[in-house]
Amino acid sequence: MHLLEVRSLTKVFPGVVAVDNVDLDIAPGEIVALLGQNGAGKSTLIQVLSGLYPFGTYSGDIIFAGAPLRCRSVADAEAAGVAFLAQEVNVAPDLTVAEGLFLNNEPSRFGLVDAQFRMARAKLALKNFGVDIDPALPLGDLDLATQQLVLIVRALSKNARLLILDEPTAALTDRETVRLFERMRALSARGVAIIFVSHRLAEVFEISNRIVIMRDGRISGAFRTSETSRDAVVDQMIGATPTHRHANRKPRTGGTALEAHDLSVFDASGREVANRLALAIGRGEILGLFGLLGSGVNEATMALFGAWRGAVSGSISIDGVPAKIASPVDAVGHGVGLIAQDRRDGLSGEHSIYDNAILANLDELSRYGFVDAVKARRKVMDLFDRLKIKAGDVDMTVGTLSGGNQQKVQVVRWLAAGAKILLLIDPTRGVDVGARAEIKRIWTELADAGCAILLVSSDAEEIVEICDRAVVLCNGRIAGTIDGADLSETRLLKLAAGV
Amino acid sequence: MSQTSEIAAVDTAAPVMVQSPVARLLANRSMRDSTLLLVLAAIWIFFYFATNGTFLTQRNLILLALQTAIVGLAAISAVMLIVTRNFDLSVGSAVALVGVVVAVLTVKMQVNAFVAVLVCLVVGVLMGVWQGWWVTRMKVSSFIVTLAGMLYFRGISMIVTNGATVAPLPASLKQVATGFLPPIWSILLISLAFCLFAAFRAFELKRGAELGTVGNFKAALTRALLPSLAAAVAAIWLASSKGVPYLIVLVAICAIAADILMRRTRFGVQLYAIGGNPEAARLSGIDVDRVIFINFVIAGLAYGITGVALTARVSGAIAGSAGLFLELDAIAAAIIGGTSLSGGRGRVFGALLGALLMGSLNNGMSLMNVPTFYQDTARGAVLLLAVAIDQFSRRRIATSRARIR
Repeated sequence: MHLLEVRSLTKVFPGVVAVDNVDLDIAPGEIVALLGQNGAGKSTLIQVLSGLYPFGTYSGDIIFAGAPLRCRSVADAEAAGVAFLAQEVNVAPDLTVAEGLFLNNEPSRFGLVDAQFRMARAKLALKNFGVDIDPALPLGDLDLATQQLVLIVRALSKNARLLILDEPTAALTDRETVRLFERMRALSARGVAIIFVSHRLAEVFEISNRIVIMRDGRISGAFRTSETSRDAVVDQMIGATPTHRHANRKPRTGGTALEAHDLSVFDASGREVANRLALAIGRGEILGLFGLLGSGVNEATMALFGAWRGAVSGSISIDGVPAKIASPVDAVGHGVGLIAQDRRDGLSGEHSIYDNAILANLDELSRYGFVDAVKARRKVMDLFDRLKIKAGDVDMTVGTLSGGNQQKVQVVRWLAAGAKILLLIDPTRGVDVGARAEIKRIWTELADAGCAILLVSSDAEEIVEICDRAVVLCNGRIAGTIDGADLSETRLLKLAAGV
Repeated sequence: MSQTSEIAAVDTAAPVMVQSPVARLLANRSMRDSTLLLVLAAIWIFFYFATNGTFLTQRNLILLALQTAIVGLAAISAVMLIVTRNFDLSVGSAVALVGVVVAVLTVKMQVNAFVAVLVCLVVGVLMGVWQGWWVTRMKVSSFIVTLAGMLYFRGISMIVTNGATVAPLPASLKQVATGFLPPIWSILLISLAFCLFAAFRAFELKRGAELGTVGNFKAALTRALLPSLAAAVAAIWLASSKGVPYLIVLVAICAIAADILMRRTRFGVQLYAIGGNPEAARLSGIDVDRVIFINFVIAGLAYGITGVALTARVSGAIAGSAGLFLELDAIAAAIIGGTSLSGGRGRVFGALLGALLMGSLNNGMSLMNVPTFYQDTARGAVLLLAVAIDQFSRRRIATSRARIR
């Protein structure tokens, strides 16, 4: 007896068949990992299942718990017992944690919201999940990972029979991931089926019972997790055996591009989040900056770009010359570019690739205050081809692109602006394996061409794979520096954890 | 949470930067209402001296309350709409149209006043339904829908009355806006309201103590009741000689109802969620369009109430000038009262304080015989300052991260 039966589901967007005649059966208590490259149709598939696309905008049948599921909205799907957690972390910043947890599910008495009961239940739910947050705090005061945890607790606390998670671990630390998996197993033992999308193969093999792989809108393979291997899965996703680890590059050391001395960063309440850091990135070097959440890596990088809103002290020099970087305007003026952790912070989704790409370089692409459209277009189109962005043309809206391609648009922007120093904060978050490899190749090329790159990542594997050298932060201080030959995931994690 | 415990460990060791007391004051959410109260107190003290004490007499304060009442009523629905990132520019004209309806019904057609008021409420609700339909079904931005409403509601009022004043209203209706509840009844009503509030809070906090969410029941209750006790005492003093105007009773009832709706019901939580992050609200299964539609219908009900009150207060419908610029005053009051234009934040009582602050400026400057032109200039400056403070404190809040209390 299946909990969910999907029969010849097809969803067409103008010009694209996103999901093409998909059949899928899921048993109660099963944990299914849904894998696939960008644009493979996984997101569309789970969005149809969770009611984001109303009944009638797709063809095919969804049978849930023996009855046809025809949702007009997310609310319908929830009522039927399907809970969905979106990939992007979306919260209303002024609601409290307790309000957020029970949003649209408020306990009420006499027609009024029972705030005390809600608070008590929120405390209990957070405690059960092992998260120590004050439920009275506004959600906007929490960082991204903690907001995500709240959303996960919310999805888990609904009495859903099918839980759909879109990259739930992307913003979580290892410890938080372990806790999430414990909860997922407990739910599965209670007969709740879980579909989750992830790009982290290690996790997929740890938690799932079954792996379903999509390619070009179709299901290209399905395995019992215990009967397959990572290589086989990756082969199915890409359609061919991928090239493995990046060959060790010989970094060209052409002098120091960016140097920071005594860099201290304070948050709004005046607490020090990074303490007297000394960082130096050479031309042509890819420097990794690694640290667990709360170690201050993101804050320090934002400070280097002049985008940190709290206080910063210390000195920065560029190409050996002292530079005052108090705002992103200064940073861009000095040839520094930033690719932000959250793609929504870096791109304007409603505008075209072209509009987004020229943004950092308007001065150079303009004459007498007018944008030189011919010159700008040529430049953007050159880069568009060079980076192999998968989109019809440069006039496509950025919001319609996949994560990997959006990432590339950001790279195009900085290349168009002639940035020589690129700061990347968790740039592969939400980007699939195939596009990841491609983006990494681009960075290596950029470094070879003389760019200095600072890669901030919470993914140790990524740092080992691509960086020439890595600096590890722990609690706002430099815990150690590891040179290329000695780089390994264990060393990074040990230093970061303060072992 | 792992990172907070790590941070906490650092917190004790790390040097803490000195922050200016003003910045800290503004960063604190609960302090912001008090900031507004402090500003209001400063303005009152200034006018007290500037007018040789006239400003703070019982008589003038009651007058001030009456002058503020109409803007206060409009500000209540303005808060509800702005919280969901919607605007209502049509309030002034809609109110004028309702006024025309009530005046035509009672003066020209001799309809019973009670029936006329009911008809007005229905007309108001229908206007709300109409505008809500355009916003949620036709997906026209509320700014445009209500801008259009501002024009044609006024236009219809002028067409119906041919631009002439329709007056005078029957005495029973005028009584609503000009009469007073006798002092003894006023004091009883205020005491009753306070007792109900106290009982509700005590009941709620007791439940919290049982569920373990409230640590110290007595301290929490004292903290919750002291400000309202002070307000109740002040209200009783004001009511002691002439009583409370019916119009103020009406404003109080509307404000309390709206506050309960916004902060204590599921609908209210949904309003804040939609304003804070529409996508998050949608993904939580909230029917965003339905909530916004209801929001406009409530705004329509407010047109009905405000329109009758305004018309009764001036004792006739003047299609051309009734409620002129009311929408702007209402939005200004809401913003001064801490409502965020970007949505998700705002309180009814804040908006009433905002209306009172603007009313105080008008009233005080008039007492000082300041020419009208200067009054407008001063009000503009206050509005700008209030929004600047709001933005400043918002930035502070945005950068402050999770920390242990």
